[in-house]
Amino acid sequence: MTAPVQVLVVGFDEPSFSGEVLAELTRLKLAGVVRLLDVLLVSRDEDGVFETMAPPPGADPDLGRVAVEILGLAEGPGGAPETVEGETWSLDDAVPPGSAAAVALLEHTWAEPLVESIRNAGGRPLDETWLAPADVERLRAITVRS
Amino acid sequence: MLLVPRQLRRAGITGDVPYYGGRFTPAQAYAASHPRTARAPTAAAAPSRPDPIAALGHLLETGVITRQEYDDLRARVAP
Repeated sequence: MTAPVQVLVVGFDEPSFSGEVLAELTRLKLAGVVRLLDVLLVSRDEDGVFETMAPPPGADPDLGRVAVEILGLAEGPGGAPETVEGETWSLDDAVPPGSAAAVALLEHTWAEPLVESIRNAGGRPLDETWLAPADVERLRAITVRS
Repeated sequence: MLLVPRQLRRAGITGDVPYYGGRFTPAQAYAASHPRTARAPTAAAAPSRPDPIAALGHLLETGVITRQEYDDLRARVAP
Protein backbone atom coordinates (compact mmCIF):
# COMPACT_ATOMS: atom_id res chain seq x y z
CA MET A 1 0.00 0.00 0.00
CA THR A 2 1.63 3.24 -1.14
CA ALA A 3 -1.32 5.59 -1.42
CA PRO A 4 -1.67 8.16 1.37
CA VAL A 5 -4.01 7.21 4.19
CA GLN A 6 -6.06 9.87 5.93
CA VAL A 7 -7.42 9.62 9.44
CA LEU A 8 -10.83 11.28 9.58
CA VAL A 9 -12.17 11.87 13.08
CA VAL A 10 -15.82 12.85 13.22
CA GLY A 11 -17.72 13.67 16.39
CA PHE A 12 -21.27 12.39 16.75
CA ASP A 13 -24.00 12.75 19.33
CA GLU A 14 -24.90 9.16 18.55
CA PRO A 15 -21.68 7.51 17.40
CA SER A 16 -22.21 5.81 14.09
CA PHE A 17 -21.22 6.04 10.46
CA SER A 18 -24.61 6.59 8.87
CA GLY A 19 -25.80 4.70 5.82
CA GLU A 20 -25.54 7.92 3.84
CA VAL A 21 -21.85 8.32 4.62
CA LEU A 22 -21.12 4.68 3.86
CA ALA A 23 -23.02 4.94 0.56
CA GLU A 24 -20.91 7.93 -0.46
CA LEU A 25 -17.70 6.16 0.51
CA THR A 26 -18.79 3.15 -1.54
CA ARG A 27 -19.41 5.41 -4.53
CA LEU A 28 -15.96 6.98 -4.14
CA LYS A 29 -14.37 3.55 -3.88
CA LEU A 30 -16.03 2.42 -7.11
CA ALA A 31 -14.79 5.61 -8.76
CA GLY A 32 -11.22 4.81 -7.66
CA VAL A 33 -11.05 7.87 -5.44
CA VAL A 34 -10.86 6.58 -1.86
CA ARG A 35 -11.05 3.26 -0.08
CA LEU A 36 -12.43 2.92 3.43
CA LEU A 37 -9.89 0.73 5.21
CA ASP A 38 -11.53 0.67 8.63
CA VAL A 39 -13.84 2.54 10.98
CA LEU A 40 -13.49 2.67 14.74
CA LEU A 41 -16.16 3.97 17.08
CA VAL A 42 -14.84 5.39 20.34
CA SER A 43 -16.30 7.11 23.37
CA ARG A 44 -14.39 9.26 25.83
CA ASP A 45 -15.61 9.83 29.36
CA GLU A 46 -15.30 13.03 31.34
CA ASP A 47 -12.03 11.81 32.84
CA GLY A 48 -10.54 11.51 29.37
CA VAL A 49 -10.52 7.71 29.24
CA PHE A 50 -11.18 6.20 25.79
CA GLU A 51 -13.21 3.10 25.20
CA THR A 52 -13.89 1.35 21.92
CA MET A 53 -17.50 0.75 21.02
CA ALA A 54 -19.04 -2.30 19.42
CA PRO A 55 -19.64 -2.12 15.67
CA PRO A 56 -23.19 -1.23 14.64
CA PRO A 57 -25.62 -4.17 14.25
CA GLY A 58 -25.07 -5.91 10.94
CA ALA A 59 -21.55 -4.55 10.48
CA ASP A 60 -18.44 -6.68 10.22
CA PRO A 61 -17.60 -7.76 13.80
CA ASP A 62 -13.92 -7.06 13.03
CA LEU A 63 -14.71 -3.43 12.21
CA GLY A 64 -12.27 -1.19 14.04
CA ARG A 65 -9.67 -3.88 14.73
CA VAL A 66 -7.08 -2.43 12.33
CA ALA A 67 -7.72 1.14 13.48
CA VAL A 68 -7.16 0.12 17.10
CA GLU A 69 -3.77 -1.31 16.19
CA ILE A 70 -2.78 1.82 14.27
CA LEU A 71 -4.18 4.52 16.53
CA GLY A 72 -3.94 3.03 19.97
CA LEU A 73 -2.36 0.65 22.36
CA ALA A 74 -4.78 -1.93 23.64
CA GLU A 75 -5.13 -2.11 27.42
CA GLY A 76 -2.39 -3.94 29.18
CA PRO A 77 0.87 -3.56 27.17
CA GLY A 78 3.97 -3.09 29.27
CA GLY A 79 6.92 -0.83 28.69
CA ALA A 80 7.26 2.86 28.06
CA PRO A 81 5.52 4.45 25.09
CA GLU A 82 7.66 4.81 22.01
CA THR A 83 9.11 8.21 21.19
CA VAL A 84 7.96 9.79 17.94
CA GLU A 85 9.95 12.67 16.47
CA GLY A 86 8.47 15.61 14.61
CA GLU A 87 4.97 17.00 14.90
CA THR A 88 2.65 14.42 16.40
CA TRP A 89 -1.02 13.99 17.13
CA SER A 90 -3.25 11.45 18.78
CA LEU A 91 -6.92 10.86 19.45
CA ASP A 92 -6.27 12.68 22.74
CA ASP A 93 -5.93 15.89 20.72
CA ALA A 94 -8.96 15.30 18.56
CA VAL A 95 -11.75 13.91 20.71
CA PRO A 96 -12.95 16.06 23.63
CA PRO A 97 -13.75 14.39 26.96
CA GLY A 98 -17.41 13.49 27.34
CA SER A 99 -17.98 12.81 23.65
CA ALA A 100 -17.89 10.09 21.02
CA ALA A 101 -16.37 9.83 17.59
CA ALA A 102 -16.10 7.71 14.49
CA VAL A 103 -12.53 7.37 13.29
CA ALA A 104 -12.12 6.37 9.66
CA LEU A 105 -8.98 5.30 7.85
CA LEU A 106 -9.32 6.43 4.23
CA GLU A 107 -6.85 5.41 1.57
CA HIS A 108 -6.66 8.11 -1.11
CA THR A 109 -6.08 5.87 -4.09
CA TRP A 110 -6.41 8.80 -6.50
CA ALA A 111 -3.30 10.41 -4.99
CA GLU A 112 -0.95 7.48 -5.46
CA PRO A 113 0.13 8.38 -9.03
CA LEU A 114 0.44 12.05 -8.06
CA VAL A 115 2.68 11.30 -5.10
CA GLU A 116 4.75 8.98 -7.26
CA SER A 117 5.18 11.59 -9.98
CA ILE A 118 6.21 14.24 -7.43
CA ARG A 119 8.77 11.83 -6.01
CA ASN A 120 10.09 10.94 -9.48
CA ALA A 121 10.46 14.64 -10.29
CA GLY A 122 12.57 15.17 -7.17
CA GLY A 123 9.90 17.25 -5.45
CA ARG A 124 9.83 17.51 -1.69
CA PRO A 125 6.71 18.35 0.31
CA LEU A 126 7.14 21.73 1.97
CA ASP A 127 3.62 22.38 3.14
CA GLU A 128 0.06 21.46 2.44
CA THR A 129 -3.20 22.46 3.96
CA TRP A 130 -6.85 22.98 3.13
CA LEU A 131 -8.38 26.33 2.34
CA ALA A 132 -10.81 27.54 4.98
CA PRO A 133 -14.46 27.77 3.87
CA ALA A 134 -14.26 31.57 3.71
CA ASP A 135 -11.25 31.35 1.40
CA VAL A 136 -13.02 28.74 -0.71
CA GLU A 137 -15.84 31.25 -1.10
CA ARG A 138 -13.32 33.90 -2.19
CA LEU A 139 -11.85 31.42 -4.65
CA ARG A 140 -15.29 30.64 -6.02
CA ALA A 141 -16.01 34.33 -6.50
CA ILE A 142 -12.70 34.82 -8.31
CA THR A 143 -13.24 31.88 -10.65
CA VAL A 144 -16.78 33.00 -11.44
CA ARG A 145 -15.46 36.48 -12.35
CA SER A 146 -12.79 35.16 -14.71
CA MET B 1 -12.22 -2.22 25.47
CA LEU B 2 -10.12 0.59 26.91
CA LEU B 3 -7.98 2.40 24.39
CA VAL B 4 -4.78 4.32 25.05
CA PRO B 5 -4.19 6.66 22.10
CA ARG B 6 -0.81 6.34 20.48
CA GLN B 7 1.23 9.39 19.44
CA LEU B 8 1.49 9.35 15.67
CA ARG B 9 3.68 11.43 13.41
CA ARG B 10 1.67 14.01 11.50
CA ALA B 11 2.00 13.82 7.73
CA GLY B 12 0.47 15.32 4.64
CA ILE B 13 -1.01 13.71 1.58
CA THR B 14 2.25 14.17 -0.32
CA GLY B 15 4.36 12.72 2.47
CA ASP B 16 6.16 13.81 5.61
CA VAL B 17 6.16 17.59 5.74
CA PRO B 18 9.33 18.66 7.57
CA TYR B 19 7.77 20.90 10.18
CA TYR B 20 9.84 23.07 12.49
CA GLY B 21 7.95 24.07 15.58
CA GLY B 22 4.77 23.34 13.73
CA ARG B 23 5.66 25.47 10.74
CA PHE B 24 8.36 25.74 8.12
CA THR B 25 10.10 29.11 8.26
CA PRO B 26 10.47 31.01 4.97
CA ALA B 27 14.23 30.64 5.20
CA GLN B 28 13.94 26.90 5.65
CA ALA B 29 11.46 26.65 2.82
CA TYR B 30 13.86 28.57 0.58
CA ALA B 31 16.81 26.43 1.62
CA ALA B 32 14.87 23.23 1.07
CA SER B 33 13.77 24.29 -2.38
CA HIS B 34 17.26 25.47 -3.39
CA PRO B 35 19.68 22.59 -2.96
CA ARG B 36 23.33 23.41 -2.25
CA THR B 37 24.33 22.58 -5.81
CA ALA B 38 22.15 25.43 -7.05
CA ARG B 39 23.65 28.08 -4.78
CA ALA B 40 25.80 31.02 -5.89
CA PRO B 41 29.32 30.20 -7.08
CA THR B 42 31.76 29.48 -4.30
CA ALA B 43 35.31 30.75 -3.97
CA ALA B 44 36.51 27.83 -6.05
CA ALA B 45 34.43 29.12 -8.92
CA ALA B 46 35.71 32.70 -8.63
CA PRO B 47 38.05 32.49 -11.68
CA SER B 48 34.95 32.39 -13.87
CA ARG B 49 34.16 36.04 -12.97
CA PRO B 50 34.34 38.45 -15.93
CA ASP B 51 37.61 40.24 -16.53
CA PRO B 52 37.14 43.82 -15.16
CA ILE B 53 39.40 45.33 -17.78
CA ALA B 54 37.47 43.71 -20.58
CA ALA B 55 34.25 44.86 -18.93
CA LEU B 56 35.55 48.44 -18.80
CA GLY B 57 36.51 48.20 -22.46
CA HIS B 58 32.98 47.07 -23.27
CA LEU B 59 31.52 50.03 -21.35
CA LEU B 60 33.81 52.41 -23.25
CA GLU B 61 32.98 50.91 -26.63
CA THR B 62 29.27 51.07 -26.00
CA GLY B 63 29.41 54.70 -24.86
CA VAL B 64 28.44 54.07 -21.27
CA ILE B 65 31.60 55.75 -19.98
CA THR B 66 33.92 58.35 -21.46
CA ARG B 67 37.59 57.88 -22.27
CA GLN B 68 38.53 59.84 -19.15
CA GLU B 69 36.27 57.72 -16.96
CA TYR B 70 37.74 54.65 -18.57
CA ASP B 71 41.26 55.79 -17.82
CA ASP B 72 40.36 56.64 -14.19
CA LEU B 73 38.69 53.28 -13.60
CA ARG B 74 41.34 51.40 -15.52
CA ALA B 75 43.98 52.84 -13.18
CA ARG B 76 42.11 51.43 -10.16
CA VAL B 77 42.15 47.82 -11.30
CA ALA B 78 45.16 45.60 -11.42
CA PRO B 79 47.04 45.59 -14.75
